[in-house]
Amino acid sequence: MGVLTTAIFLPLLGAILLALWPRPTERLARGFATAVAAVPLALLVVAWLRFEGRGGFELVERASWIPTLGVGYVVGVDGVSLPLAAMTALLFLASIVYPLDLRGRAREYYALFLFLESVSLGVFLALDLFLFYVFFDVSLVGMYFLIGGWGHGEGARRAALKFFLYTLAGTLAMLLALLGLYLATEPRTFDMAEIIRTQPLPAGGLYSALVFLGFAVAFAIKTPLVPFHTWLPPAHVDAPAPASTILAGVLLKMGTYGFVRILLQMLPGTFQRFALPVALFALVSIVYGALVALAQGNLKRRIAYTSVNHMGYAVLGVAAAAALLGGQEQARTLALTGAVVEMVAHGLITGALFLISGSVWARAETYEIQEFGGLAARTPALTFTTALAAFASLGLPGLAGFVAEFQIFVGTFAVYPWVAAVGLLGILITAALFLHLLQRMFLGELPVRWNAWRELRPVEIAALASLLVFVVWIGVAPAWLLDVIDSAAGAIIGQANPLAGR
Amino acid sequence: MIALLVGLPLAGAVLVGALRGRRGAQGGAAVGAMLLTLGLALWLLVAGAGELGWRWSARLGLRLALEGFAVPMAVLVPAIAAPILAYAAADREERAPGRLLALMLGFVGAMELLVLAADLLTLLVAWELVGAFSYLLIAHYWREPWRPTSARQAFLTTRFGDLGLYLAAGAAYAAGGSLDYAALPGLGGTALGVVAGGVLLAAAAKSAQLPFAPWLFSAMAGPTPVSALLHSATLVAAGAYALVRLAPVLMAVPWFAPAATGIGLATALAGGVVAALQTDAKKALAGSTSSQYGLMFLAVGAGSTAAAGAHLVTHAAFKSLLFLGAGVAIHAAGSGELGRMRLGRVLPAAAVLFGVGALALAAVPPLGGAWSKEEVVAAAFARSSTLGWAALASGMLSAFYAARLYLLAYGPGGAHDLHARPRRAELLGMGALAGYSLLLALLWLPGAEAVVEAGTAGRLPHGLAWGLAAALLAVAAAVGLAWLLWRRGRLLSLGLAPRAQAAIAAWLGVPAAARVLVAQPTLALARALARFDERVVDAGVRATAAVGRFFSRLFSRWGERGIEGVVWGLADATLAVASASGVADDRGVDGVVEGSARGIGRAGTLARRLQTGMAHHYYVIVAVGVLGAVALIVLWR
Repeated sequence: MGVLTTAIFLPLLGAILLALWPRPTERLARGFATAVAAVPLALLVVAWLRFEGRGGFELVERASWIPTLGVGYVVGVDGVSLPLAAMTALLFLASIVYPLDLRGRAREYYALFLFLESVSLGVFLALDLFLFYVFFDVSLVGMYFLIGGWGHGEGARRAALKFFLYTLAGTLAMLLALLGLYLATEPRTFDMAEIIRTQPLPAGGLYSALVFLGFAVAFAIKTPLVPFHTWLPPAHVDAPAPASTILAGVLLKMGTYGFVRILLQMLPGTFQRFALPVALFALVSIVYGALVALAQGNLKRRIAYTSVNHMGYAVLGVAAAAALLGGQEQARTLALTGAVVEMVAHGLITGALFLISGSVWARAETYEIQEFGGLAARTPALTFTTALAAFASLGLPGLAGFVAEFQIFVGTFAVYPWVAAVGLLGILITAALFLHLLQRMFLGELPVRWNAWRELRPVEIAALASLLVFVVWIGVAPAWLLDVIDSAAGAIIGQANPLAGR
Repeated sequence: MIALLVGLPLAGAVLVGALRGRRGAQGGAAVGAMLLTLGLALWLLVAGAGELGWRWSARLGLRLALEGFAVPMAVLVPAIAAPILAYAAADREERAPGRLLALMLGFVGAMELLVLAADLLTLLVAWELVGAFSYLLIAHYWREPWRPTSARQAFLTTRFGDLGLYLAAGAAYAAGGSLDYAALPGLGGTALGVVAGGVLLAAAAKSAQLPFAPWLFSAMAGPTPVSALLHSATLVAAGAYALVRLAPVLMAVPWFAPAATGIGLATALAGGVVAALQTDAKKALAGSTSSQYGLMFLAVGAGSTAAAGAHLVTHAAFKSLLFLGAGVAIHAAGSGELGRMRLGRVLPAAAVLFGVGALALAAVPPLGGAWSKEEVVAAAFARSSTLGWAALASGMLSAFYAARLYLLAYGPGGAHDLHARPRRAELLGMGALAGYSLLLALLWLPGAEAVVEAGTAGRLPHGLAWGLAAALLAVAAAVGLAWLLWRRGRLLSLGLAPRAQAAIAAWLGVPAAARVLVAQPTLALARALARFDERVVDAGVRATAAVGRFFSRLFSRWGERGIEGVVWGLADATLAVASASGVADDRGVDGVVEGSARGIGRAGTLARRLQTGMAHHYYVIVAVGVLGAVALIVLWR
């Protein structure tokens, strides 16, 4: 078996073994899950080292599946999916390591987590549309049970259900669109590389527009873009922290990844027609998400709405890349690269922020920002990690968020200067809301009730550090990441523009 | 080598952090790192330095170069910072000296990066880092909640300006495909206009020009050495520095010069009035800082980046000195109120040193401050005589408030039990800075012009024959007036009613206007949108679900088998959304409330059913989807 296939299915095997394991202690279950989750990360590092960046798909592994329908088992990577998959593996490892009160159901929890890791990696590594769809849909199931089973608060189950059904509605739209695209291929195939090469559905007419719309709605719900975002805040607030990390860090990326892989690569002409509306939806998400986040008094809701804001940046970058069929190749490549970096950076940063909110909950059983104050006096490690993650999230240079947002804004400016200019307000508002959060929780007077606040445990610090190290690394020396992403972004922009003769 | 200009301060910061708990060693490491940086900068000044690239990708990278005005600035920053760090290290009451010194070193490192930047990306990176360090430094005494609040205001105001650099970078890249300074002259009209506007916005915000000036008052929440550093050679200096570097290119934009001149002149005059009326020592200095940077903007607009650059250097020397002197006075008097100082008799050494700074601020020859201000005024006259007279008036104002500040803070007459005496290291720091001011008197020597023009890569104006005489006369008149008011005991209030004085001295209502026009509406909008999000946007989802509920009831009256079973599944699922989202809305103000309330009861049942019969429901729904898809395709073909 190839590296990627092993990376996808090993966690599933681990999940099955864990489910069959009669009565593992919590420590054993966590240790086992950690060991299993470390393997895909290692395998993806191997894949990264083997990756050459030729522009197309590499390390492709295939097997016959349902040949009569043109469905195959195909996995592989390019410069977009490799960083996302690696980030996914890292986030899963950190989330699994992260301690959580499991209410005596450790086996089920870790089995679900490993299952979810399998399907999440599958989404990013699949090179067959049908396979992609299966993984995309099944990911909902894993997350539904994690939120419903280990969430806290009154509404955990209802929030899980809302999340499930809302995003399921989106995938139904996607299924229709998928079939629409499939029926346009000749001979019939779900093979992504083949569809990208042959471009079976050129722009023009209602048919291609409807196919585009189906995909766009599905991905807009998953990302989420305003106004399809209302499932996100309740799901986050009630989810256990590691599940929030995966939800924000990995599951949301499936939406933006779809924007790139399917809409931009398979329907570039149609995307070009609708690029401005998509950019405007993204712009609304940026500004609206930031403003609504500013008004939230609940730590997790605030972080959840900043996700709406940040995913808005990513979609804006993709829309800018799609905006023209020719011209401004440099700037559009910059925007697309920025969008992919944003996906990775947001995964790491917001993942860390949600883990932090889990540490806060474990000690305080509340998310109300008002309740805190002066924690810096008690918990330097939590203060430092939160400040680092917050500054990264507000786009401070030297940290990963800036590398993404700078490229997105500069690249977008070339095609939609006004959209970029208004979108910049987003980074001002996020600065306001994160500084307020830091100040309200960590600075000022320490309320008496938090006098016995416990400092972060080494395992919590290790999990956070594993994410934040990359946040700093990407921020200071991003070349290793940008070159990989650029290899795909350049090819995609060139591919969407056959006349440029790239 | 050039990277070490940034790296040495940062390494010093790490070292200071590592020397935890050893005050003396920390101070030594901090000052040592600054002296090393200074030595390196001087060596590179003589030996020359190459440039350095730090690749990001095929399209982006950082570029550092020691060229133009960067050369003297790279020397100035550590030269000013070293005595200030010595002063900071000497403060025995400081509870967290390590953090303070380390952050100040980081601040200096970021400023060196800003100085060395040779492209807009590097400039933006350093620009924002300088801002972030200033936030952490202003919020240094974080236990008192108002200080972090002030730090946040300062950071947000300057970050608003930072957005200008994002726009500038976007325009430069879109039009020229490059962010290099060297590529800017090749840009066309609109793109260059956006670059000019963006840079001017960023510079005005950083250099505390109108309408952003009041953030400098917020910055007073930081420790005194931080104020001394950020007013002179770092944060605030960044704006004027960027203009001096980039103005020669941006002057091609027709409105750039008038805009820079207008902002500078307005701030120079208004800041002068604020400084002349302030009753708080540090705030008076802050008003004066805005005013002096206003003069630099004015000089840039009038076409002489050399005069602006020279004034930036002399200002850095005397303003840092004045802040340290104010800090000593505040420590001694136990308060920043100018009405309670008059420490000249009890602190003679500090009074003399502060006096050197005040004379330089007042532009009394032969101090360097007088020379550079003279050049600014000459540049203004070279543009138009109205502008010249306005600049002269602003110069007169600064002579007046310099005299006022000196007399009130260090004039004779106070009777005190001192709260604290200055330590020797503090006086040594002040002495070093006073030495710079005296050294800058060399600017009056013949041949200095050529050095300044070479150092700033700009041109000095042709001085007026009567310019010096007029300036001296103005200074004498202003100082005389201050003296007169002092003798009559009205120098503090200037004969104004306290309320009127306070209102004018608080930046003429600009902060209140910013609160009412920007901050409060933004917060109100945020809250309104949050309510809108909960009640309206989500209500759309709930309403859809309610429609589904209606159909589900309708269909449930029909049979239960066959194709209806499929519909059942769909309806059930929709119903579940209705229940779930209905419950999610705890406020429930809309019309859906009633239906949702009834749905609540069923939510639990449904949730359970979905868990157990998951696959079943799921595939039913998928099947419906497939049918729909097929129908769509069939109808379409």
